[in-house]
Amino acid sequence: MTRWPSPRRLLALGMTLVPVLTAVLGPALAGLPHAPPGGPYAPSGPHHLLGTDGLGRDVLTTTLQGGRSILLLTLTATLLAYLLGGLAGLAAATGANRLVEQLLLRPLDVVVAIPALLLVSVAAVWLRGEASAMALVIAFAYAPRIARIVHAAALDAAGRGAVEAMRQQRESWACIHLGYIGRAALRPVVADLDTRIVGVLYLVASANFLGLGFGPGSPDWAVTIARNESGLLLQPWSVLAPATMIALLVVGVNLLGDDVLHRPRTARVGAPR
Amino acid sequence: MPLSRRALLTGAAAAAGVVVVGACGAPPDTPPAAPRHGGRLRAVFQGGGSKETLDPHAPRPWVDQARHKALFDKLTELGDDMTPVPRLALGWQANPDATVWRFTLREARFHDGRPVTADDVLASYARILDSAAAGRRGTQLLGELDLANSRALDPRTVELRLRAPVVELPTRLAGTGMAIIPAGTGDFGRPVGSGPFRFESFDAGTSSMLATRFDEHWEGAPYADQLEILSAGLQARGNAVLGGQAHYADDLDPTFARIHEADGAVRVIRAPHSGMQAFAAKVDRPPFDNPDVLGALALTIDRQRLVDVVLAGKGEIGNDLFGKGYQYYADDLPQRPHDPDQARWLLRRAGAENLRVTLNTADAGTGFVEAATLLAEQARAAGITIDLATVDKDTYFADILDNGVLVNESVGAMPIPNHASTHLLSSAAQNVSRYRSPEFDAAYRNAQATGDTGRRTAIYHDMQRRFRDTGGLLVWGHSDWIGATAPALSGAVAAPANTLNWARFDRVWIGAGA
Amino acid sequence: MCARLGWAVGQLSCLALLVFLGTAALSGDAAVTLLGDGYDPGQAARLRARLQLDDPVWTRFGRWLADLCRGDLGRSLVGGEPVGTVIAHAAAPTLVLAGATLLVVVPLAGTLGFAAGVREGSALDRVLTTVTVALYAVPDFVVALLVVALVSVRLRLLPPTALGADGATLLTRPELLVLPVLVLCCQSTSSLSRQVRAGALDALGTGYVAQAVRLGLPRWRVLLRHVAPNAVAPAVQSTARVISSLVGGVLVVEVVFAVPGLASELISAVAARDVPTVQGITLVLGAAVLLVNLAADLVVARVVPRARERA
Repeated sequence: MTRWPSPRRLLALGMTLVPVLTAVLGPALAGLPHAPPGGPYAPSGPHHLLGTDGLGRDVLTTTLQGGRSILLLTLTATLLAYLLGGLAGLAAATGANRLVEQLLLRPLDVVVAIPALLLVSVAAVWLRGEASAMALVIAFAYAPRIARIVHAAALDAAGRGAVEAMRQQRESWACIHLGYIGRAALRPVVADLDTRIVGVLYLVASANFLGLGFGPGSPDWAVTIARNESGLLLQPWSVLAPATMIALLVVGVNLLGDDVLHRPRTARVGAPR
Repeated sequence: MPLSRRALLTGAAAAAGVVVVGACGAPPDTPPAAPRHGGRLRAVFQGGGSKETLDPHAPRPWVDQARHKALFDKLTELGDDMTPVPRLALGWQANPDATVWRFTLREARFHDGRPVTADDVLASYARILDSAAAGRRGTQLLGELDLANSRALDPRTVELRLRAPVVELPTRLAGTGMAIIPAGTGDFGRPVGSGPFRFESFDAGTSSMLATRFDEHWEGAPYADQLEILSAGLQARGNAVLGGQAHYADDLDPTFARIHEADGAVRVIRAPHSGMQAFAAKVDRPPFDNPDVLGALALTIDRQRLVDVVLAGKGEIGNDLFGKGYQYYADDLPQRPHDPDQARWLLRRAGAENLRVTLNTADAGTGFVEAATLLAEQARAAGITIDLATVDKDTYFADILDNGVLVNESVGAMPIPNHASTHLLSSAAQNVSRYRSPEFDAAYRNAQATGDTGRRTAIYHDMQRRFRDTGGLLVWGHSDWIGATAPALSGAVAAPANTLNWARFDRVWIGAGA
Repeated sequence: MCARLGWAVGQLSCLALLVFLGTAALSGDAAVTLLGDGYDPGQAARLRARLQLDDPVWTRFGRWLADLCRGDLGRSLVGGEPVGTVIAHAAAPTLVLAGATLLVVVPLAGTLGFAAGVREGSALDRVLTTVTVALYAVPDFVVALLVVALVSVRLRLLPPTALGADGATLLTRPELLVLPVLVLCCQSTSSLSRQVRAGALDALGTGYVAQAVRLGLPRWRVLLRHVAPNAVAPAVQSTARVISSLVGGVLVVEVVFAVPGLASELISAVAARDVPTVQGITLVLGAAVLLVNLAADLVVARVVPRARERA
């Protein structure tokens, strides 16, 4: 039976889709009604709906162009981080040997010890706005955190009576570890997915704001916020338009996460497993 | 040809050095009020974290120069047109070929009570030239000084002998890092100078230097009791003066001037002709070794648009020459036009249609990336494709000396001859465009030996004409130096950085100006 | 316990080596950055000789390590100050900022998250979720720019920068702390309260809680004795994470409010290629985060059964 999505989900979808569609379709739409360049921080007018930025570029146009980079980078980095962190965490938790667990987790702690933004700030000098390299560094910075959570959740699951029961019933290793523990660990990890995406998004944005990410001429949302900081009082849209896009994306992903990842949980409370 | 024997200048000239220079955007003229004494003055400058130093011969960020100016004096300082203004020197005279100079010192004391003597001057210059030391900024300017044969004629007369004629010696002595220190100083933990403020304390962690009024300063005691000089980033400097946390904020951006000249929350002071904004094309390698290609690029630049956008209109357009508004500037040369069609024609003639070059840019200077972005757009009109390469900002100025073909360049206020000797001669360390011209070098040496100001000016004009077409420096603008004072501060004047009246806190006072 | 300390030392050594190689591989060196726009090859060569930058990488690392073993972090290449002093100066404002933020965030987020979690779907839960999501949505640097522009510059209510303030000044003049801590709180309260809420929900869903409820234990007792401890486990690890991400937030805040703290010192040291300072700061930060994680693990070991067996 198909059900009409709840208004809440529609809202969440809508909020996510605005920045995502902007990022995907924006570059094609940008500057379609070709507007002559204006003065720096020019007020809103017929040529420039949201005014211009510090370079005299149309704010609407740069906002349309500035989403693709941040979105692509965020998704790639998150995916990579999950891949690396999830595997390491699960392997550590289910490993038969304590030494294996230590060998897997301890090196990760070295990375965890460096706050992500600082890792990026040291690496930034080499990266020079190279998107693929930035994705790797960010994934590298986030993987240990994911590994820790996967590890803790898997440990928790492995400690439950059900596993003991399965062991006694001589279920296969794969069935216990990948099937039960993996699935049990998946919940807190996926419950975290939206926060994770947002975390990476923030890391990318903060790095760009501090001038550690994409080149200063890039139309990227966070870069333009930083570049137009001094014009905030002259043409607020030059900061607010890209900031709104980032905020919409964050709220949308969060609501969507809550909505989608939340539903099975309500059903699960008290339900036999 | 007799060298003009300069009359001994007196203290009156120094007092006259305080000239109000176009304090644009100042509130309507108010009747002058009597200066008030007392109070603690707080000023905030661009800093450099742990790079900041109290060694007056090795200044790095602007905040160092501001601090050193409060604590030390030089023999001379620069006026707004880059002519020398006597400071510790009362006056000077030179022999006809400008190789032997005598400077008479005024009666001045260091903060510890010792008099400033000729020996201190010689010791200071010896320290600057110390070949074992590194990071001394004045080494190049004193390059011709023959220290072994220079001597103190009496405690208040110093004779400097040069290995080659330098008719501009008095302006060179006003350069960055030329402070006079007491002989024998090697450690600047608690610096002692002869400047208007006496060192009190320095906290590197908070980047705060505190100094107190030096009552025995030769120019009279400052009005404020205490002076605190701090450093902070661009936005924080502007916010500090807006939020009443500082009396003066230095080196603000044009957008700040645009906003607050209009709303009057603070007094914006702008000094014109304070910095050269340019692109440097390397003329020793393709494609800009071809004068037609270089000329084409020069014609594609819409200078007015760059000034309007990058400098928010707070500046003037450039004519591919350094030093607009300064002594010896060749202002009779026609303004370089913006003519993309002519540029296309030149490129066709050079066989360089569809030219594609890379512009190495970085956030190493205010407006670098913005200017580069706009140039790339403008060049399209002439069929030139400019790819922007964002390079490392921390090592930018060293990298561009050898690397790339087209780069951003900016130079602060300094006399035109000093710019030539440090940036344009074949031997110059900061010759970014790789201009190498034996004729230009010879003309420079000739000018240094020419005592007559009129004839020397003619030589400098000729050098600039020669340089402009083949030198590789595409000067698109001359920026204003922008600072802001809190309503409580009076007496501040606008002056380009590096000149006498910039960062000068002995002649300003806290208290309503009206 | 000893083994863990051993691991920690090993990790820190790895970190030191990584950071050293990383900074050594950066383009340019301290001599280049020191001379800035007055770069001149001759001067640079002399500076390099004086700073011993011409020595091979391994010699320099060995020298640094040998000094470290004597408890000496070396001297800054650009300022000449002992790195220990630099760190001590810079750490104070950062600690004050981070400490003040945690003092606000932990009780606030704990209470809010737990209250929302145990009444999932209630009006309280919905309001709290909406508010935290909204707060979380605006990047901290945007919040910082906006509060400075509005509260300080326009309304002149609170100082816009912490100009010239060290750690002690921040403590004696709390008005300087209000805006930076406010900015830092927005993000961390939201994320931590969401974690606590998720933890509470998770605990509510476990079999033994259902069992306890079936046995007829009073609700408050179930919540306090069975739900709260299990909600704490992920929350403690999240707090550890919040602390480490706080360092990132602190960086933005330090830049916007001109606080002379550790994070901005690190950035400027990287920019200046001041290798000993970069080394010292990352080592101290690394040690601090390791300690926090160690503490988190110990707390988790007390409340999660299987982890206790292994600890």
